[in-house]
Amino acid sequence: MTTTLPATDTSPPGARTTARLSEKSRVLLVTGGVLLVVAVVAGLRAGSGAVLTQALVTGVLTGGIYSLVAMGLTLIYGVLHIINFANGSLVALALYLTLVCVQDLGMHPYVALVVVMPAMFLLGALLQATLLNPVMKAPIQIQLLITIGLALAIENGLLLAFGPNPRSVALPGNTGVRVLGATVELSRIWAFVGALVIVALLALLLQRTRVGTEIRAVAANPEGARLVGIDIRWIYVLTFGLGAMAAGAAGVLVSPFTTIEPTTGAVFNLTAFVVVVLGGMGNVPGALVGGLVVGLTEQLAGLILPSQSPLLAVFVVFLVVLFVRPRGVFGRSA
Amino acid sequence: MTATAPSTRSAPASAPLTGQLTSTPRVRGRLDYALVLGVLVLGAALPFFMTTSQMAIANRVLVFAIMGVGWNVMAGFGGMFSFGHAAYFGIGAYATAYSVVHLGLSPWVGLLAGMVLAAAAGVGISYLALRYKLTGAYYTMSTFAFAEALRLFVQGSEPLRRTVGFSIPVQQGSSFAGFQFPAGSPWYWWIGVVLLAICLLATIAFVHSRTGRFTLAVRDDDAAAAALGIDVLRHKLVAVALSAAITSVAGMFYVQYYMFVDPSIAFGAHTSNDAIITAVVGGTGTIWGPVVGAVIMAPLSDLVAGFLRNPPPALDWLAGQSGLDIIVYAVILILVVTLLPKGIVGTIAARRRKQ
Amino acid sequence: MRAWSGAGIAGLALTLAACSGSAVSAAGGGESSTGESVDEVLIGALHPLTGSNAADGQQMANAAQLAVDAVNEAGGIASLGGADLVLETGDTQGTPETGQSEATRLIEDGAVALVGTFQSGTSANVASVAERNQVPFVMDVSALDEILEQGYQYSFRLQPNASLMGEQGAAALAALAEDSGTPVDQVAFLYEQGNYGAAVYEGFQAAADEAGITVDPVISYDATAVSDMTTQISQVAASGADVLAVAGYYRDSLLAAQAVDTVKPDLQAVFGVANGAYDQPAFVADAPSGGEGYFDANYHWDVTNPDAVALAELYEETYGEPIRTSAVLTYDAVMVVAGAIEEAGSTDPTAIRDAIADTDYEPLVVSQGLVSFDETGQNTNAGIVVMQVQDAAVTQVFPNELAEAAYRFPAAPGAS
Repeated sequence: MTTTLPATDTSPPGARTTARLSEKSRVLLVTGGVLLVVAVVAGLRAGSGAVLTQALVTGVLTGGIYSLVAMGLTLIYGVLHIINFANGSLVALALYLTLVCVQDLGMHPYVALVVVMPAMFLLGALLQATLLNPVMKAPIQIQLLITIGLALAIENGLLLAFGPNPRSVALPGNTGVRVLGATVELSRIWAFVGALVIVALLALLLQRTRVGTEIRAVAANPEGARLVGIDIRWIYVLTFGLGAMAAGAAGVLVSPFTTIEPTTGAVFNLTAFVVVVLGGMGNVPGALVGGLVVGLTEQLAGLILPSQSPLLAVFVVFLVVLFVRPRGVFGRSA
Repeated sequence: MTATAPSTRSAPASAPLTGQLTSTPRVRGRLDYALVLGVLVLGAALPFFMTTSQMAIANRVLVFAIMGVGWNVMAGFGGMFSFGHAAYFGIGAYATAYSVVHLGLSPWVGLLAGMVLAAAAGVGISYLALRYKLTGAYYTMSTFAFAEALRLFVQGSEPLRRTVGFSIPVQQGSSFAGFQFPAGSPWYWWIGVVLLAICLLATIAFVHSRTGRFTLAVRDDDAAAAALGIDVLRHKLVAVALSAAITSVAGMFYVQYYMFVDPSIAFGAHTSNDAIITAVVGGTGTIWGPVVGAVIMAPLSDLVAGFLRNPPPALDWLAGQSGLDIIVYAVILILVVTLLPKGIVGTIAARRRKQ
Repeated sequence: MRAWSGAGIAGLALTLAACSGSAVSAAGGGESSTGESVDEVLIGALHPLTGSNAADGQQMANAAQLAVDAVNEAGGIASLGGADLVLETGDTQGTPETGQSEATRLIEDGAVALVGTFQSGTSANVASVAERNQVPFVMDVSALDEILEQGYQYSFRLQPNASLMGEQGAAALAALAEDSGTPVDQVAFLYEQGNYGAAVYEGFQAAADEAGITVDPVISYDATAVSDMTTQISQVAASGADVLAVAGYYRDSLLAAQAVDTVKPDLQAVFGVANGAYDQPAFVADAPSGGEGYFDANYHWDVTNPDAVALAELYEETYGEPIRTSAVLTYDAVMVVAGAIEEAGSTDPTAIRDAIADTDYEPLVVSQGLVSFDETGQNTNAGIVVMQVQDAAVTQVFPNELAEAAYRFPAAPGAS
């Protein structure tokens, strides 16, 4: 990936920092401006302010959910440079674990977090240790193919174990809530809050702990990290575990409003890739922004082009961003 | 796998072919050509000792093989790991279906149209990607996004029949111009084998040509190749065009054999996966790898299904359970990729070279 | 050398795969015998026994077996000397290619007729195989109109197709409104963007125009990608429509119900048309407020028909779960085939095909008369019935002759 510093810059160091900062804000302003224009067009198309408001609020909330699902994906990419195609199926696995916790063990869905998160962490760590660590030096497609194989195996393992019928999990006390003139389900608000909490926790972990610093070091420069005595293979295991754990949290938080089927993961995969690229591969807070852009695009495109799949608009945006600014809104960072 | 420095290098493919380059290309070429002849002879004979339903599986092997050969040109020889090859397969399939159903033309016209369209699409998207210097994961994601966008576009397109897709009208009797024969006719297989042979010949000729060798050099180190005055962009695009055209042939054959196509068959992620898995299991960057990969992977779900119909008593609980065949598929993929990263043919070739 | 090994492995594998040798066989149905007395007649059933629709597929295969057993217990095919019916099942795995190879396998094994397949894409493929082999194929479940628009002579469909269901749904809603004395002037229509939803909508619109009902707004969505329908439902709320009609699959229809529960539009009812969720027991468990009051105008087995009830009881006894309508349709399909074999007195697939075309079987699903196939193979008497979720149970409510209980209209969603 190319660096983010401008190539020839003779201005004094302070100015360079200012220039870099306002570049980021410029991008955010442009993104915000585009969204504003699109929103106005959508509102005119829909012919109703209430519908537009609902679309915007729904867009923000579903956006938060998309970013939640994509957190693990971007973290794993940032450190291991692996696109984890099994991310969606890990979310599906977490959904089924939540189902078991709620139906067989009588837990409240959110209490299942306590069970699911550690279980997913262990699974992720195990997968990295046994399958991926041995091939980290091989070309990238080997690792991609292993994650594809994992995705297929997990999805079909779920099919084998639970059968194909759709299942569901109910959140006690779920109800519609008025937010800024629109009505939304309480469970979706909780999921959005959960996304924010997880971003905060991950950021805290990465910035304020020793382990976090090691992870960031490995992400920036594995050879250098090895030279200063960091056990890279252990960091890889830890990171994949964290990524799986994030996917697990996502699964638990979306369970009250998501139909649980073995193929549920596949739907999440598509949007997660887009979110990750938009926000900057490897950039965890960026995934929040990426998710919001995807969620809002989906809702607004649904109003502007009612007979087309809104996913098409999302993919077009994706391709445009890939070509114009592949490092995404925030650019890469660990 | 370099996780460190920024690099303009696209994802490197497996390396065995550099070994091949050191031996005399002409001799190598002659052997490969002779083998294609062998495939044709074997193909001619096969229908005489296989049942009709086994031939149905054999035809599926052909589809996989052509897709794998196509993908391999771009990824194995060109060094560009495409995750959206379904785009080219789908273009070939839809061009054929549209020509036959809407325009009343021969599917051979559809084949040519499909090849041109697929090559153009491939060159277009790759030109953009290379010009904007997309590398590694970004490049891969762009190919995936392109295939998905195409699928969604076709799904919403009225002239392309949205989600219902195309059914090829049934004509009784045999027609070579219409590429339709009675059900179970060995002519599908024979013509398919000829198509596969042509695709293999094109690949072999490409690899041994001057353009091909330059493309291989670009794959191995594009900075060095550029320094030697080789036009990196052009050679990559040639590989993409050939790859797309070959893959579209598989799409045409699919439509004519199965008489039906819809957006998720044509452009779905599993189609892209099939192309990749076939070539990787057999050996990326080798001529015969994709063929071997196809022979192994294509019959797999039938074999497992057949096994599940009458499992041995010890595994009785598996009977009638869903999903096992894909799990087997996935496990084989992971095992081959982990233990034999060069694929079957690639590993054998590497061992031979050591001797 | 390397290249030799590659091709060598390929050749070896292919030769090994040719386990049981058999000469190249031309296409054709099973041995057709013009003789009177045969011991067994083979028919094939193709369903997704694995994959995401396996739940329905397995039920359908089970029902086919029950039908074959019933025929044999009643003495088999009398016109063939009491020959037994034998069922061979194939697993389409939910994909057209496997459907095709399985159909080919069954025909090769000697099946004189096929039933199946539950998925329209697979059925389209099997229909073409059946046509080319000249073996009759009776579709139990496959809604897409286009399958029978190819001019196939050998394919038949028991189930009402998508546009027919849309039409009958609109007519039923109009009749229900009139019967109840609560007028319905404007219906909002929400449908999945694929051909299925679109065909249901078109049928509905045509019949609604005739009945003087305005259909507005018309909102479509991508069934596989949608994750939240509150925006769509708020559009419905803003429009002032009396009734919301929904034509979708299970997952998305459930999302619509959740959104209705959240947004709480002022509606007289939610009326599913050929809806994949609103007549399912699972919906009652998954939906907010148990989906109480939700209607679905859909094909369904006739709970007021004693033979159908007997089958349902037998199924539950034998397999331990309630029977699905799809399985009842398979039972009907096998019965149609058995009746045709009886009528034809032969195992020649073409003779059987002709007998199927003339059938007069009385089905166990709701119907507007005896099964009657038109020249394209569509059962023109295929019908729908309006069901409603009442007290956590899916109940037939309209037309009144087929009602298990009185309908409740208006049935504002969320008010129990």
